[in-house]
Amino acid sequence: MKYLVTAIILLLSLLSGCATTNQRVLDSGDETQLQKRSYQSRIFDTADKEKVLRATISTLQDLGFVIDRADLMLGSVSGTKLEGHQIKITVSVRPKGTDRMLVRANAQFNNTPIEDPKHYQNFFVSLEKSLFLTAHAGE
Amino acid sequence: MKILPILIGALFLAGCVQIPENTFVVTPELIQQRQLETRRYDGIKEADLIAASANVLQDLGFILENSETRLGVLTANKQRDAIHAGEVAAAIIVALLGGGAMAISKDQTIRVALVVRPVIDSNGKAMSESHFVRVTFQRLVRLTDNSTRVETLREPELYRDFFERLSKSVFLEAQKI
Repeated sequence: MKYLVTAIILLLSLLSGCATTNQRVLDSGDETQLQKRSYQSRIFDTADKEKVLRATISTLQDLGFVIDRADLMLGSVSGTKLEGHQIKITVSVRPKGTDRMLVRANAQFNNTPIEDPKHYQNFFVSLEKSLFLTAHAGE
Repeated sequence: MKILPILIGALFLAGCVQIPENTFVVTPELIQQRQLETRRYDGIKEADLIAASANVLQDLGFILENSETRLGVLTANKQRDAIHAGEVAAAIIVALLGGGAMAISKDQTIRVALVVRPVIDSNGKAMSESHFVRVTFQRLVRLTDNSTRVETLREPELYRDFFERLSKSVFLEAQKI
């Protein structure tokens, strides 16, 4: 009997992990919108959107991603990495003021969002190398 | 009695699917891969090089999916049979040994992304008639039990063969044949 109760409690705790559809659609977790933006974004001191986009594409390819789509006007690039698991990423590049570019990335691993800032940090380090520019935290 | 550790185990399983540590780190293997996937072409403009590349992809039966020529990006895919004689034979042996039906490859989607970028000269300027082409192939295989297996293709022969075809196509494009 005691074990049955324990089992039921454990099973319930598993269930409580399941989010509702709305939570899934909006990905509303513990983080605020601002926190998410801050670790997913960096600012680069260049006004050349095309250069940043081309460097982003090269960086993603260096990281083993296949580019899915790119759009100069919108400033976006999406890619997929398949290594037994699937990682998808979208990077957007937007002008910030007149002489800087804001680069923002968001990624998912299989069917979960990547929320560990460490991974974004690694991505921006690779992008810095490819751009020969230093990334600044912003927003 | 014995169910408790199993349940606890299940609880751990539910919580953790690990993202590989160096997902966004350029490893030496990836640099090797870059060399395999990249070739330099001289004496051709970016637009012509992209057109030549699109032609090769069509030669290979790919359906163009997406392109942004202003960034030198081209993506394409094709669906093909994935039945492999060796795998079928293995499945039959497993079945004969009483192992039941083993899932084998049924069909596959082959994806390719091709990116053209100008070579940067010693003054940091993009050259108008020298470019790097980098191509990557991926494959998504569907098994008979409807599960999927995904991978990036790494066989050097595949890339060598592709670039040989592209060289021919670049030549034809340059001659406007």
